[in-house]
Amino acid sequence: MRKPSTPGLLLVGIALVFAAGGNPAAKVGEPAPDFTAKASDGKSYRVSEYRSKFVVLEWHNNGCPYTRKLYDSGNMQKLQKEWIARGVVWFTVISSAPGKQGYVTAEEENAYLARMQAAPTAALLDPTGEVGHLYNAKTTPQMVVINPQGLIIYDGAIDDRPTAEVSDIRTARNYLSLALEQAMSGKPVETPTSRPYGCSVKYP
Amino acid sequence: MICAATARFRFRVSSLAFFALTCAVPAHAQWVSFPHGTVQLLTETNSIAPGRGFSLGLDFRLESGWHIYWVNPGDSGDPPRVQWKLPAGITAEAMQWPVPHRLGSSSVADYGYTGDVLLIAPMRASANLPLQSPAKIGAQVKLLVCRELCVPGKAEVSVALPVSSGIPAPSSSRALFSAARRSLPQPTPKNWRLTVKEQKNTFVLAAHTGFHVAHAQFFPLGDDQIEDSAPQNLASLAEGFQLELRKSGRLVNSISRLKGVLVLPSGRAYQIDVPVRRAAPGTPGDGLGRSAN
Repeated sequence: MRKPSTPGLLLVGIALVFAAGGNPAAKVGEPAPDFTAKASDGKSYRVSEYRSKFVVLEWHNNGCPYTRKLYDSGNMQKLQKEWIARGVVWFTVISSAPGKQGYVTAEEENAYLARMQAAPTAALLDPTGEVGHLYNAKTTPQMVVINPQGLIIYDGAIDDRPTAEVSDIRTARNYLSLALEQAMSGKPVETPTSRPYGCSVKYP
Repeated sequence: MICAATARFRFRVSSLAFFALTCAVPAHAQWVSFPHGTVQLLTETNSIAPGRGFSLGLDFRLESGWHIYWVNPGDSGDPPRVQWKLPAGITAEAMQWPVPHRLGSSSVADYGYTGDVLLIAPMRASANLPLQSPAKIGAQVKLLVCRELCVPGKAEVSVALPVSSGIPAPSSSRALFSAARRSLPQPTPKNWRLTVKEQKNTFVLAAHTGFHVAHAQFFPLGDDQIEDSAPQNLASLAEGFQLELRKSGRLVNSISRLKGVLVLPSGRAYQIDVPVRRAAPGTPGDGLGRSAN
């Protein structure tokens, strides 16, 4: 008796396409590791399907004061809208494990997105931390930018102000926008990495 | 301030000698709360003298389970940031950070302190610091306090120190300062030989110490140089050891020196500042060489 194949199962959780080989695979200048993850909108997203576009990965934890600095001020939402309007695909990634700070169900995340007027392409739910580990995500908010060729062109902090104070946003140098702006105009990314500041990712 | 006001009053009703006595001891340090901890600004001496160095200390006491961060916080977090409010003639030197602990999980490693910690701030008083009024020194401390979750905190502490020309007498906090100094990393002994070899994915720190070392831990001063959460594999040598440190994935430009703190099982900690040698082209693999050279 053969078990019927269950393609639906593929949508559950995360299928890691690249074997990480025990070593974090993600590195600036190298191909972005592929993954498929389920989002709070119920759909599955495979990152390699967005070749030909810039993809932003934003590690997120709605209880982290550093993340809140950017959301309570509306700054992150503004960046999402601005860059998506310019053709960027933006994935918010939530790698908090069940029971840990920042873990959310799909419903909770959808309510949060609506309340905050956040507008990522999708909010990916990564409760096992596999996507986080694949990209060696350490903090929220950590940002990764993948170019249309599928290479990582930025990995690090959102800006140069490692604080939780809203007043610092205005004068900060936003590394994410700089990387996208420079790459889109065919220039090399001036700051391809920075220390990602913030709260630790709450892995299992 | 209190001292100055008292002095003016005393001067009117009593003698100059009484003034000197009243002002010889600085006002008691005040504990100031921040989320999940308290801090006070301590002085090592009861007065300061023009032209002499002196030390202040930020004395942190943390609730059980909570931590603050080392100067390099590691993968996440943020060290206490201190903004001094100093009168003219007093300057602050670099803060002295005791050896941190490795905190966090197997995937996110942080460096910091739990419990009680004293951060010593060496200060300098200029030779023409006026003698008549006490020097009021303040510090605004911004810090991040974490357990599983993190809470930003802020505290304002201050102290008023009499300025006198004599040799300053130790304060009641002197023992705390001495204990904290014992836990500061020391320069490496003269007879040690240290090298750092850069390989494709690792830095190999070799230390010829003259004795057998079975365990060692390295804390990097620069961020994003080594992978903080990676295991540090040690190979014992006849008279020392080699420590394999995995490079950070975010290290894009090569570094010319590896700086940090090395802690041995004795609890002794040493300041490391070693030039990085690139492995000769064609050096096979990433494995540890077992030779002592």
